[in-house]
Amino acid sequence: MAHAAQVGLQDATSPIMEELITFHDHALMIIFLICFLVLYALFLTLTTKLTNTNISDAQEMETVWTILPAIILVLIALPSLRILYMTDEVNDPSLTIKSIGHQWYWTYEYTDYGGLIFNSYMLPPLFLEPGDLRLLDVDNRVVLPIEAPIRMMITSQDVLHSWTVPTLGLKTDAIPGRLNQTTFTATRPGVYYGQCSEICGANHSFMPIVLELIPLKIFEMGPVFTL
Amino acid sequence: MAAPPEPGEPEERKSLKLLGFLDVENTPCARHSILYGSLGSVVAGFGHFLFTSERSCDVGVGGFILVTLGCWFHCRYNYAKQRIQERIAREEIKKKILYEGTHLDPERKHNGSSSN
Repeated sequence: MAHAAQVGLQDATSPIMEELITFHDHALMIIFLICFLVLYALFLTLTTKLTNTNISDAQEMETVWTILPAIILVLIALPSLRILYMTDEVNDPSLTIKSIGHQWYWTYEYTDYGGLIFNSYMLPPLFLEPGDLRLLDVDNRVVLPIEAPIRMMITSQDVLHSWTVPTLGLKTDAIPGRLNQTTFTATRPGVYYGQCSEICGANHSFMPIVLELIPLKIFEMGPVFTL
Repeated sequence: MAAPPEPGEPEERKSLKLLGFLDVENTPCARHSILYGSLGSVVAGFGHFLFTSERSCDVGVGGFILVTLGCWFHCRYNYAKQRIQERIAREEIKKKILYEGTHLDPERKHNGSSSN
């Protein structure tokens, strides 16, 4: 989860998020250099003593400041499209979980190997144990195995919601009447948090998502296979 | 404020953010590129001034941008290659641990193909 006042991205827990962080660093360096150049141009504009008011054209400069931004945009677009297509790769998921948004909780269905269905409500502040996270912890977490491709089918029963887990690089809208699909592979175990990311009413900020990622051997002993 | 590190956990380096957003301490290759870019800027600007005795600020800024960009791409390319090699090594080690002594042992397959 994010620490207090965190501005940057969370550490990656999936290969796609690692790629997104790499791309973010790449784009940020380009942005920094452009900002540096613009600040320098601004400084020159403010401090110059040159005041020729009869300049009518500057063909060479106009050519440069047309072609150069086009090159910069290509340099940014190519890695971006690469990651976009990477997220759409079909990688034979081992498990499919359905996630249904409601006002204001999530329902999860593990129906591949049995019929496990449960609701996940935020823990109200009065019910928090010492060490629990306010506005983030839930009564029933989504327990999943690591190092296995997982497919999430996301929809909503009432209004728009959005199922988000930043550390996995996931954000998928839950739209009533539509099934959206996202896949991911978690690389390390742990408890990961997310929050609903589409305004959905009074308690939009109070329907978090909590994933508990565990080794496959321990996951196989759980209720998904035994119920 | 960040939570204090657990015992044994490496301390996160304090972040220095250029222009308020580029974290040079925690972004791989950023510090290296900015430092080389600064050096390139000084060398280009000062060198231009020595040879021409003309205003060299523009050359300095241009040198900074080009050297930073060049170092950045070079370093990120090597970093990406290194990450791929680390991933391959990690997966081969896992396979070796899982399949050692069995017919799926990668070393047995490799020795078999080289003796043929």
